[in-house]
Amino acid sequence: MNIMIRRDGEVNGPYPLEQVKDLIANGTLSPDEPACVEGSEQWMPVGELTGAPAAADVPPVIASEPVAAPAGDIETYTPTGHHEHEFRIECKPDYGYLTVQVPADQTLKVEAAAMATMTTNMQMKTKIGGGFTRMLSGESIFINEYTAQGGAGEIGIAPGSPGDMAHVHLGGSEEIYLQSSGYVASGMNVNLDWKWQGCRGFFSGESLILMRCTGQGDLWFNTYGAIIEIPVDGDYVVDTGYIVAFTGGLHYNVESVGGLKSLFFSGEGLVCRFRGQGKLWIQTRHPGAFANWTWPFRPPPPNND
Amino acid sequence: MRTTIEGGPAFAYINVDLDPGETVIAESDAMSSMAADLNLVAKLNGGFFAGILKKFLGGESLFVNHFTNNTSEARRVTLVQSTPGNSREIQLNGQEYCLQPGAFIACTPDVNFGLKWAGIKSWFAREGLFKLTVSGHGTVWYGAYGGLLEKEVDGEYIVDTGHLVAYEPQMNLNIQLAGGLFGSLFGGEGFVSRLEGKGKIVIQTRSLSGLADWVNPMLH
Repeated sequence: MNIMIRRDGEVNGPYPLEQVKDLIANGTLSPDEPACVEGSEQWMPVGELTGAPAAADVPPVIASEPVAAPAGDIETYTPTGHHEHEFRIECKPDYGYLTVQVPADQTLKVEAAAMATMTTNMQMKTKIGGGFTRMLSGESIFINEYTAQGGAGEIGIAPGSPGDMAHVHLGGSEEIYLQSSGYVASGMNVNLDWKWQGCRGFFSGESLILMRCTGQGDLWFNTYGAIIEIPVDGDYVVDTGYIVAFTGGLHYNVESVGGLKSLFFSGEGLVCRFRGQGKLWIQTRHPGAFANWTWPFRPPPPNND
Repeated sequence: MRTTIEGGPAFAYINVDLDPGETVIAESDAMSSMAADLNLVAKLNGGFFAGILKKFLGGESLFVNHFTNNTSEARRVTLVQSTPGNSREIQLNGQEYCLQPGAFIACTPDVNFGLKWAGIKSWFAREGLFKLTVSGHGTVWYGAYGGLLEKEVDGEYIVDTGHLVAYEPQMNLNIQLAGGLFGSLFGGEGFVSRLEGKGKIVIQTRSLSGLADWVNPMLH
């Protein structure tokens, strides 16, 4: 059997098995470098592969995902479709970081406390946005507006939670419902309305606060964990804590998965059932689960007496 | 010496392969694993008084560990930072860098440390009175929470104080409010650093205060 070796993103080979074994033995090749049998796509550490007696005996490997990118290798997203602003999202997917070029005298709305860098001509104004509904969820009720004065400017935006970031461009006719804490930034002609959906999620302890985003322009949002974009046609069920955004054409209902018993005992709580045709973005981690996980390790509150 | 940084940007670690006779110096808690026959000596971080100053004013530890390979073959030590996030290296050829407190992970033996007065305003912004500087010839490894992005500044640039990891010291750094008083108080931006001049800066794409603001409302 011949073996292909992947190094620095390039596939090399084929090499005869004996040669590969020699390369591992003399240290030229590390046993954990990804390799596969010629003609197959089942990548695995080369040490594991060469330890196997024959190709036919190699157990099937389900994940054929590429191995972790080398450090410092930062995935950058630049827009390919419609967009109003020049921008890029760096350090995807772990710590998505947005840099937007703002044309002279234009303004960008940005989540409070999310600005990390900017050119000195960016003027910040703090506006009240969301008001009461956002306050209930513990988020800032303020939104900052940054205006590029006297020339083009640049702003770098870092959301609070670890995770990825996505961009949608609103063309005027569509609307996006965005989970409020996922908001990162938007163009000035995108209208943001907050809707309180707390009662529906009341039993699960999760308040679902949705922003209705309409108008025209760019909208950026972030997730805790990775982002999965799901085209919905028919019915689709998402646990409320994983919802990030969805298009306005989708109807939704918050319901329990399987009656009262499962509501209390299955740990699934309430789910959101989407119906219709549209797009849905979910995050791969649940912020509430992170809070529950860290909860026991909080220091006791200071004693005030 | 051959080094690779892997596991980034979420959980970077640094593999240092020391040739016979070579030494690497690391923060006191940076070693995660090493070859058993490497020689480890804890030393004061640049003399007693300098060490004390660095600990209390520069945010670094009093002791650093010297890992020396006294064998006749290459040996590996793996170094990590204490926070999630990415690590990077700086090659010093006589120039100097300022590092944010706590960012330093390791260096080669010919790197010099210093403390630089950061000013009273820096203290108000909770960034400490002093900045750690590294200079000389060699390699420095450092890390921070989030991804790390390098940027060339020519002119003026504003960086939120919690996001600035490293910068070249010929640049002037001033601490100021992000906007007006209202915006700085309620807009959540507080203090920012205004950098003036020409040089490289490195920023982290997440901040601890951002993480706290995200998680704290859920913990009540």
